[in-house]
Amino acid sequence: MLKSLLYIFGFLIAGELVSWLFQLPVAGNILGMLFIFIALKLKLISLEDVKPASDKLIKYLVIFFIPYGVGLMVHFNLIAEFWLPISVAVIFSSILTLYVTAIILEKSGK
Amino acid sequence: MMQQFFQLPVFGVFITLIAYFLAVKLRKSWNYVLLNPVLIAIAGIICFLLIFRINFETYNVGGKYISFFLGPSVVALGVFFYEKYEEVKQNLKIFILAVLAGGITGVLSVIGLLLLLKAPEVITRSLAAKSVTTPIAIEITRLLNGIPEITAGIVIAVGIFGNAFGPFILKKTGIKSKIAIGTALGTAAHGIGTARAFEEGKLQGVYSGLAMCLNGIITALITPYLIELIF
Repeated sequence: MLKSLLYIFGFLIAGELVSWLFQLPVAGNILGMLFIFIALKLKLISLEDVKPASDKLIKYLVIFFIPYGVGLMVHFNLIAEFWLPISVAVIFSSILTLYVTAIILEKSGK
Repeated sequence: MMQQFFQLPVFGVFITLIAYFLAVKLRKSWNYVLLNPVLIAIAGIICFLLIFRINFETYNVGGKYISFFLGPSVVALGVFFYEKYEEVKQNLKIFILAVLAGGITGVLSVIGLLLLLKAPEVITRSLAAKSVTTPIAIEITRLLNGIPEITAGIVIAVGIFGNAFGPFILKKTGIKSKIAIGTALGTAAHGIGTARAFEEGKLQGVYSGLAMCLNGIITALITPYLIELIF
């Protein structure tokens, strides 16, 4: 567990470092995700090395964003004022996303 | 007096954990889609803070310790992606094409609609990444100078929408393929949609989880450029 946690944080800090050094418009944790995927793919690290910590983190992922959701209360007025355009845009865009993704696979016969 | 007590980090940590714990219990007693545990936990904490007149900033002294783990969790998604990737290798090209098309459609259509409906720029910046998993969406919004808290709230709502209506919408539009249904749910409605995909079947669930990760990467890479082109 400790070793796998060390790997996760190691890739996270590597991602943060690259993002910061090159001033990239991509967050460090997203780069960390790409790096760990590439490292697994190239067999630089094994799945067993990282799986214990990553499984736990993913299991409790939803808890970690609760504080951001609570932060919505600060912006309640903005949401209340623009709830209609937000709802319309988000619902139509989601339906479109669902359909475009699905129709490509459906037509390809997969 | 009491306000000082609430400033202790343990308050924010404890109320977050207990709210989620109770919300999961509630979901187990009544299995109903709007009783999404995250939604209930957030609503419960907001009510508590309002009733006891506690600022968000005060709560977030402890809340920060919880949200800190979003960073390593995004890295963990890379591991999850690798595991699932091994299972779907054979359809990889068409799968990537579908997620890419869906992901770009999601970003462009929500930006376009918000511009059309004259929503303020900060809302557009906060919702561009509305289809992807919350931790990635939060990071994207931060880079775009939007409001991450609005992103988190709407992303969860999108997930619940996809979870509740996704399969119905897809069936109504004539989609029958299990792979198509799974991939669409993960692309449009991230983890909460993926939970529904797993209820539909293992194959749908795996494709959905993979689509969620891939769309997170795609959206993270393209959205900053798309927003720059528009604003």
